[in-house]
Amino acid sequence: MNIHDEMSDADVLRAAADCLSTIPMPSAPDTAAIITTGRARRRRRVTGLSIAGTAAVTVVALGLSGAFGATSHQPLGATRHRPGHPAHAQLAAWTVARLADGNISVTINQFKDPAGLERTLRADGVPASVTFGSQRNPACHPYPGGTLSPGSVPPPPLRPPPLLKQVFPQPYRHVGPPPGTGPARMVKATGPPSPPPSGNRTAIVIDPSALPRNAGVQLASSNAAAAALLLPVVVYASAQCTG
Amino acid sequence: MSNEQAEFTEFFQASWEPCLRAVVAVVGSSQPAEDQVAEAFTKAWMSWRAVRQHPAPRAWVVRTALNTGASWWRRRSRELPLADHEMTAPGDLASGLDATLLTAIWHLPRRQREVIALRIFLDLDTDTIARQMRIEAGTVRMHLSRGVAALRHELTSNKTTEASQ
Repeated sequence: MNIHDEMSDADVLRAAADCLSTIPMPSAPDTAAIITTGRARRRRRVTGLSIAGTAAVTVVALGLSGAFGATSHQPLGATRHRPGHPAHAQLAAWTVARLADGNISVTINQFKDPAGLERTLRADGVPASVTFGSQRNPACHPYPGGTLSPGSVPPPPLRPPPLLKQVFPQPYRHVGPPPGTGPARMVKATGPPSPPPSGNRTAIVIDPSALPRNAGVQLASSNAAAAALLLPVVVYASAQCTG
Repeated sequence: MSNEQAEFTEFFQASWEPCLRAVVAVVGSSQPAEDQVAEAFTKAWMSWRAVRQHPAPRAWVVRTALNTGASWWRRRSRELPLADHEMTAPGDLASGLDATLLTAIWHLPRRQREVIALRIFLDLDTDTIARQMRIEAGTVRMHLSRGVAALRHELTSNKTTEASQ
């Protein structure tokens, strides 16, 4: 008898199942956490759609004048811009928009007016500290799992820690040497999938619902000229740091 | 707790592990798989009224988890040439025959891994797998047949080696 005849398809599948079943599995998360997250997102989706509709009407009513100033706060829900849209003719230094899923999108075209951005984020319910081109706020302390510890040797794991990934759900780009070849220098959160306007910009998405109760975000660019470099970190919320 | 919530809780508790195992079988590591499956269950709860009437809700979760992973991966692959994949080294999880078999499973083409995972962990028949993967039943049979043949070859080669020693 050929040895290959000894194992039926069912035997092979059973062997595969047995083998895969030996892999230790993490225990299931708390159902309540799943339900709470889902419920919050569902609520935000409904609210976001409603706000988006209102915002769209408002934008049309204003005649799309392109009058967003350097520190303008885009209308909530204005999540997508058509390419060539007049609103892009005069780009704001940065814009903040609430997406339909409740997340907050921050798009930075020029690293100007960090205080204005900080105020806007706080007004949208995100405890935030923003510094461009200056020393980061020393009153801010990283929240566990909320930073990639740039510059550390050996380089940090390529996968952001879970909290960082949840609060900043968009992917990260490594702006340093290839992994494993030297110390990591900096990471950059990259933007939402909508096509970028002309010129460089930095965009990140913040999921406020993923922030622990006593946490906020810190957006810091040590060099305003190197506009691409932005380090988003989850920090402990405090009056001195995140307002 | 509402009836809907109780029903979802029961589904979640009974389905978490098989769904996670199926996704691990495809993606090759429990870390991203765990995130993907948790995300898929969150989406399932968000659309529970539709998912509860789905002919194979567990398959819906697995499909959603895999799509979520693909979406994350696509975003990352567009942005960065980091880890080519996040598969765990089989030797870290098992030794001997199991490690060999794990290696063989994770070297199968992704479609073959998906078909095998849906068959062994969710016990789905060919037609249901075909609907879930949106491919023809004949294609499912082909993936299953080729995947099983490759694993059989690995298993029997290993046995032959052991017998000759």
